[in-house]
Amino acid sequence: MIVFEDVTKIYDPDVVGLQNFTCHIGKGDFAFLVGASGSGKSTLIKLVLKELEPDEGRILVAGRNLNTLSRRKVPLLRRNIGCVFQDFKLLPTKTVYENVAYALEVVGEPRRSIRRKVPEILSLVGLSDKVNSLPHEISGGEQQRVSVARAFVNHPPLLLADEPTGNIDPDTAIGIMQLLVRINRTGTTVLVATHDRAMVDRMRRRVLQLDNGRLIRDERRGGYDHPVEAEPLLQEV
Amino acid sequence: MRFSFFLREALGSIRRNWVMTMAAVITVFISTAILGAVLVTDRNLDRGATSLKNRVTIEVFIKDEAGPEGQQALEQKIAAMPEVKSFTYISKDDALERFKERYGDRIVDNLPINPLPASFEIQVNDADQVEVVAQRFFDDPNVDNDKGTTNGVQYAQATVRKMLGTINLVEKVMWVVTGVFGVAAVMLISTTVRLSIFARRREIEIMRLVGATNWFIRWPFVLEGFMTGLVGAVLAALAVWGSNWTIFNWIKSTDLDYLSIEIYPLWLQAGTWPLGMLFTLALLGAVLGSVGSIFAMRRYLRV
Ligand SMILES: Nc1ncnc2c1ncn2[C@@H]1O[C@H](COP(=O)(O)OP(=O)(O)OP(=O)(O)O)[C@@H](O)[C@H]1O
Ligand SMILES: [Mg+2]
Repeated sequence: MIVFEDVTKIYDPDVVGLQNFTCHIGKGDFAFLVGASGSGKSTLIKLVLKELEPDEGRILVAGRNLNTLSRRKVPLLRRNIGCVFQDFKLLPTKTVYENVAYALEVVGEPRRSIRRKVPEILSLVGLSDKVNSLPHEISGGEQQRVSVARAFVNHPPLLLADEPTGNIDPDTAIGIMQLLVRINRTGTTVLVATHDRAMVDRMRRRVLQLDNGRLIRDERRGGYDHPVEAEPLLQEV
Repeated sequence: MRFSFFLREALGSIRRNWVMTMAAVITVFISTAILGAVLVTDRNLDRGATSLKNRVTIEVFIKDEAGPEGQQALEQKIAAMPEVKSFTYISKDDALERFKERYGDRIVDNLPINPLPASFEIQVNDADQVEVVAQRFFDDPNVDNDKGTTNGVQYAQATVRKMLGTINLVEKVMWVVTGVFGVAAVMLISTTVRLSIFARRREIEIMRLVGATNWFIRWPFVLEGFMTGLVGAVLAALAVWGSNWTIFNWIKSTDLDYLSIEIYPLWLQAGTWPLGMLFTLALLGAVLGSVGSIFAMRRYLRV
């Protein structure tokens, strides 16, 4: 699903974003991206979205070579990628329903299918009773569910999450993570950049650790900074 | 569905920024209204038998006794002058025809002979040259001057020529003012659209993220500028046409009606710049608006 081959991204003037980074994330994988602040996690996610161009190396996403993908085709790439961010990125003047519908509307989805898909996805994330609330009327965890709903409403093959639980208390965060796991079960590849040590340790999923733009660890069933033996809490969600 | 989305977004932006939008509409209004005034003035100078531009014409009447040789001599003399743009020969019969057209058949039918002289109508290149050219016929033996006068040569008075010169100058100034306000309009619309882009930056970010196409993101802003320009220009077209109509009717009701002012048509009409006042100005307004939007988008909306 995602292939990075010896990718380097240096910001002006000479800040390392990512350095000689190689990895392969298969279809249906669930992977965590961990590392200290400034280690290049967000840079990697932006490269996958083609918000940034690499200085060197090759990037393939969902069968597309991003190095040769024309600017005009970038929107089509992004329609295949759902995105969730720490700050939710909801429109404050639109209701929960409208926020999700908006994402469909702007890619030209017919009105009838919007009316069908939005309630369906909102029920999946457990927000059927909040459809008419505005973002500031619901909790942070609920806002993040709206943003997950928006990212997943079209069932994209790839879902990227950049610190999705960064603004949320640990208990609520578990719920969000469970949601991502459920999404992963439908066959969607999920990549989560996070600082949430406890969460990564519990989940025992694949872990990619970055340090100053370099990949220093890639473990199939890892913890935040070492392999863990503990029984995963979230195994059966 | 898509168009209604763009329209809704554009109208939303206009509502949010209505003070700026008003300022932009007024600027477009001024720019296009001045252009409209130039069009009306120009049309009235160009057309109509008694219009001012015809006053750069010199009429040289030919003595009946001069005969064909006299006529030919005059023709050669006129043709040799570099200042002359064009000239026409009006025979005695032509003159009579014209007279009939203007005053009716009845007077003419009672005349035993045709009293009207033949003439040359001469157009010069420049209003300033009228005097010089006219003077060359004052002493010409073939010209129908009464003894001791030069009344066989008719041309516009100096004041009329001055007035024409002034109107030309005013027109040039108006073109410049149209241009200046046009530039101001583009800048104001561009600022307004920039504010809209800023106000909608969250929406834009989300649209990019979920894969809206670049043009989908741009259209509401293009439309916003376009509509702002269009509204200003349509109001200007109506205002100019209304003033034109009012002045036309006022002149008709006074003894100035020999000026034969014309109304520049609001709508399509054969024989004019094919679009009429409304379309001409609307086109300009729409262009100003769209160009303003495009400026704003190129600077502030990387997609
Ligand atoms: N637009 C930019 N211009 C210049 N430098 C940048 C830019 N974006 C990021 N960087 C730098 O690149 C490095 C990697 O940044 P990145 O945002 O990828 O880190 P991160 O792992 O996401 O950090 P965090 O955990 O704090 O979100 C940092 O040193 C950062 O300062
Ligand atoms: Mg980051």
